[in-house]
Amino acid sequence: MNSDVPMKAPETAAIATSAESDVTIHDVEKVERALIDASTRLPVLFFYASAIAWLLLGTLLAGVTSWKLHAPDLLANYSFLTWGRVRPAHMNVMVWGWASMAGIGTAIWLMARLCRTTLRHPLLLIGGGAFWNLGVMLGVGGILAGGSTGYQWLEFPSYASIVLFVAYTLVVSWAVIMFRFRRGDHIYITQWYLLGAFLWFPWIYGAAQIMLFVVPVQGVMQAAVNWWFANNLLFLWFGSIGLGTAYYMIPKVIGRPVYSYHLAAIGFWTYALFASWTGMQRLVDGPFPAWMITASIAATILTIIPVATVGLNHHMTMRGYFGLLRYSPTLRFTVFGAISYTVFSMIGVLISLRSVARYVNFTQASIAYSHMGLYAFFTMVIFGSMYYIVPRLVGREWRYASLIKLHFWSSTYGVGLMVLMLLAAAIAQGSALNDPALTFTEGLAYVPMYMRGRSLSGVLLTVSHCVFAFHFGLMLFGLGRTASVPTFLNPQEEEALEARL
Amino acid sequence: MNESSSAPERRVRQGMDYGETEDVNQVHAAIQREKREPRVGLEPLSLWLIAIYGLAIFCGGAYLGRYSGNFSGDGLDPLGGAPRSKKSATGPGGAGPSQELSQADRGKKIFSANCATCHQMSGTGVAGQYPPLAGSEYVNGGTRRLGMIVLKGLQGPLTVKGMQFGTAVMQPWDKTLSDAKIADVLTFIRQGWGNKGGPVVMESIAALRKELASHPDSFTEADLKAVPEDANLPGAEKSAEAPKPAANTAPPPPKG
Repeated sequence: MNSDVPMKAPETAAIATSAESDVTIHDVEKVERALIDASTRLPVLFFYASAIAWLLLGTLLAGVTSWKLHAPDLLANYSFLTWGRVRPAHMNVMVWGWASMAGIGTAIWLMARLCRTTLRHPLLLIGGGAFWNLGVMLGVGGILAGGSTGYQWLEFPSYASIVLFVAYTLVVSWAVIMFRFRRGDHIYITQWYLLGAFLWFPWIYGAAQIMLFVVPVQGVMQAAVNWWFANNLLFLWFGSIGLGTAYYMIPKVIGRPVYSYHLAAIGFWTYALFASWTGMQRLVDGPFPAWMITASIAATILTIIPVATVGLNHHMTMRGYFGLLRYSPTLRFTVFGAISYTVFSMIGVLISLRSVARYVNFTQASIAYSHMGLYAFFTMVIFGSMYYIVPRLVGREWRYASLIKLHFWSSTYGVGLMVLMLLAAAIAQGSALNDPALTFTEGLAYVPMYMRGRSLSGVLLTVSHCVFAFHFGLMLFGLGRTASVPTFLNPQEEEALEARL
Repeated sequence: MNESSSAPERRVRQGMDYGETEDVNQVHAAIQREKREPRVGLEPLSLWLIAIYGLAIFCGGAYLGRYSGNFSGDGLDPLGGAPRSKKSATGPGGAGPSQELSQADRGKKIFSANCATCHQMSGTGVAGQYPPLAGSEYVNGGTRRLGMIVLKGLQGPLTVKGMQFGTAVMQPWDKTLSDAKIADVLTFIRQGWGNKGGPVVMESIAALRKELASHPDSFTEADLKAVPEDANLPGAEKSAEAPKPAANTAPPPPKG
């Protein structure tokens, strides 16, 4: 690293300068933050704890799903553990139980911080969280009992969907109320994205529910609605929360303004404009009027604009500070997620093009794509935010730097291996499907070896999640460290630097 | 924060039951050392980025224009019904999925999906349970017995190639497979694995299906023995000299 990189412990420096200059303002700000954190403490921890419990269950279901693909006899004698039920159960636990709950937890905390307002009546928000848990529980139970609706990411039976929507309304009204009572005249980028996510979610979820279950559209159009929903849940709901979180965490941890307001604005509005057109590109060569699919592919190509803009903005913000990735867990997870976002989007553009989709559409590539979006990007960003937020809520520092490292590397290698395996399987499977001399079954014979590789990646991810859940449990029960310095990933190096400065 | 400022002490303590002092200067260490809330710089847009925007818009627009199928509501062809030669030029393997398959190749697909579980892809069956098809006298003989077995199923003891079978039951396929598919799969098994039977046409199966419509049960070995070994279905001889593709494939065959 260059010597001009300010590789000092940023925290001590921040306190030193602030103590010299405007003491009063900063003291007031600190008290205010303490009050805000105290008010969000219970609901956010409740959402986080629930999310992590769902993460563990989802990981278990993922393992069963993945294993069955190369060992089909596994647990095949229990109807509720057959592949056709375990797989949707896994996906829905991850989407609604883990990702949504963790994302909402982070979003509440960020909203309170940025609106500079305490969370009023936090217990009601916990009620919303409890309802959410109930919805997921009912839904997953319904799927395992055989009541799946058969629409991707909407497999929950309708009674569970209703509970979930009620829970969502409770939760989101709190976030919007916070926005209404915000202080200060500045609305930060993260708030745009969070508010966007909170308003877009009922739109996509409601539209999909109405068009698939209440007044069902006819025939193949159901698939169109379904994929529009699934892709936009990924883009507009998870994507917005993830990008908003990254826009907060990166400048916050390195203590430097975001590079450019203009880039942020362009990135946000073009994202809103183009992302909502996508979804149909995952049905290339399906029985739809060609223009529908082509319109989605064109919109996917146009998402290069927001992706390049946001990526450049983050990169320029980080420039000169990449050395901090060696110390800060939050930054390391968040930056990994932000980079994955760019890679995820580029792969999304690539596999949507008709000439490429000819080979990889309706293969494992779709699963690779979903995991890149939901795991390599979103989940990693959320992990990063948890490493930042939880110490502030429980008043303890993370206990072991080694566990954080283990978590990071097993997650990174796990998801990397998974995506590579699935993409390789997609190419093998796709070219076999395109060969008219091979039957469908013969074509599938190329896939199991990659599926074994995918299960191996699942083992890594299981390690990662168990380690994180254990670490989080320590924090929750007050067993974190009481030191006044954060848990750096490489404390010795960090101390040496500190001594030098 | 009008509400909270009225009772800041209580609120602070609520978040601080972990043994820190109540002194506001020593609120939680993580908050003490925290940086300011993020701000936003005002760097201008770079020209390179604008170039990327232009490129993306151009590519997206060109793609939409080229593959929109003239925005027709019922056009599945992204090129809007352009000449066939042009379509195959759009990508490698353009001719792939629509390529015409022979009757035996179609039969192979049906076989692997429905029959291979018991009779195996190699046609050897499983000793003692599932009779072999390769070299079987029933497969190589007349088509009538074969059609009866597949349409209505078979149960009870059976001798094939001098070996005894009988523990397993063959299910009737008349409800599951169409005439064309049964004809395809019979053609495949009669010509695969070194078997020397002639092809079977769809009309023969249709006729036999009609004939057996009132036959409720699976056949037994005795029923089969009652039929002469070389009895063929009607239409088989005709098809032997001029193999006719099944009528469910839309495009006309290249030759007679």
